[in-house]
Amino acid sequence: MEREIVFTGIGGQGIQLMAKVLAQAAVDAGRHAMLFGLYGGAMRGGPSESTVVIGDAPIEAPPIVPACWSIVAMHPSALPALLAKLRPGGLLFANETLVDVALDGRAVVPVPATRLAEESGNVMGAGMVMLGAFVAHTAVVPLERVVAAMRAALPPHRTRMADANAALLARGAERVRTAQHAGAA
Amino acid sequence: MSERALMEGSAAMAESAVRAGCRFYAGYPITPSTEILEYMSVRLPEVGGTCMNAESEIEAIGMVWGAAGCGVRSMIASTGQGISLMQESFAELANAQIPIVAVNMCRGQADYFQATRGGGHGDYRFIVLAPASAQEAVDLAQLAFHLADEWRNPVMIMGDFLLSHTSELVEFPAAAFPEPSAKPWAVTGANGRRGITLSPLGPPEKLSTDIAAALGAATAKHAAIRAAETRAETAHLDDAELVVVAFGFPGRFARYAVRLARERGLRVGFVRPISLWPFPRDVVATAAQRARAVAVFELNAGQMIEDVELAVRGRVPVHAIGGISHDHSGFGVGPLLNVDYILERIEAVYAA
Repeated sequence: MEREIVFTGIGGQGIQLMAKVLAQAAVDAGRHAMLFGLYGGAMRGGPSESTVVIGDAPIEAPPIVPACWSIVAMHPSALPALLAKLRPGGLLFANETLVDVALDGRAVVPVPATRLAEESGNVMGAGMVMLGAFVAHTAVVPLERVVAAMRAALPPHRTRMADANAALLARGAERVRTAQHAGAA
Repeated sequence: MSERALMEGSAAMAESAVRAGCRFYAGYPITPSTEILEYMSVRLPEVGGTCMNAESEIEAIGMVWGAAGCGVRSMIASTGQGISLMQESFAELANAQIPIVAVNMCRGQADYFQATRGGGHGDYRFIVLAPASAQEAVDLAQLAFHLADEWRNPVMIMGDFLLSHTSELVEFPAAAFPEPSAKPWAVTGANGRRGITLSPLGPPEKLSTDIAAALGAATAKHAAIRAAETRAETAHLDDAELVVVAFGFPGRFARYAVRLARERGLRVGFVRPISLWPFPRDVVATAAQRARAVAVFELNAGQMIEDVELAVRGRVPVHAIGGISHDHSGFGVGPLLNVDYILERIEAVYAA
């Protein structure tokens, strides 16, 4: 069974890093993964999207997926076009600080990622909060793998952020652990 | 580096090339091939190799020509626009029987003709391999260096933006094809022996006297290559009423659409040529014999379809279901890279 996860947001929110960390964590956990990022020349504010497919065999799906198991929306700008790809029963993770969670009756997991990151004094880490919430809710990979993959993925000039990111991942996970557990991978 | 890693296709291919014994790389940056140059610039010095960021594509292929002529496994990469500039050298290399590996990380699939027919002079051919995943890029990079030496003929690997930039789990096999221990054709200095000339026209003393023999020797192997080195992936051909043919990474979109068509009960088969030259003519011909129609998905105005038509020889209709597809970047990631669209086209041809 292949699980397709599409991350959407704008440049600067950490979309590419979230996806890269998730894919690496899946591979580190012994699974197969595919990662494909699409973004424009604008590093801040332009559309940013990344697709991760996780499976137990070489991935069959192409990197521009026709349908997805989950969407992680950090920003609403590119979300409407993506929603059509969400399978019935698929989960939408919405950064409710910025994304309207009352989305036509779909199953939405709201996470106030930007607000929680801001409260931690690190608004740029909202993606880590969301990623922590995502893996806690779906159990698609263990959180410890994600923390390790995040540490390994940071370039040298960002390694000072590793501990703060780990705390934000834990914060996101904590947020959903109290909520009900839905599907697992 | 571990034997198993999540890597972009371009990096995976480059790493595999190094493991295949590539010790010289020259290139000029151009999207979406630049990542290979970047990877080689770091990796080759680690193994005692040399990576050159040349001042132009023409200069780069000249460097590769020189290194390969000395018997060093050598590689170059670009995209179609840069590959265009190398055509004169490609023709000379092939006719002089110098083994190199050239990579075209194509923008879309518009360079099928360029790769399989070539834009240079003479009767030369490149062996052309088209991977559809990062793992296949690893495997075919190994094979490419082997085939280049085996046949003393250049080999091209055809990728695209998606192959270059999609990360997948890859495993590096133990070297499947050891590098030949002796390359008697290589120019390695004439100390203690007669000098060797690597030229499309043969040894200098035969210039103007036996040119046909030299060119004939370089091309006589084409039939043997056709017989030995044709590769294709096939699926669901046993009962296929419609056969979909597609190549490279976009072929993966077509394969997925075929799978969905099968789930809807349509008897659709799939052929993915892995070697574009030699083209798997017999595989396509055999599949078409049992089918009502053939559909070709490719991201260009219709190029591989000519090879499919040559294989089918008019027995059944051959339909084009792809087309030119770009977004604003021009890198070939356009609206036709859409499984739903391909599925619709398959259903339409199937119903016709």
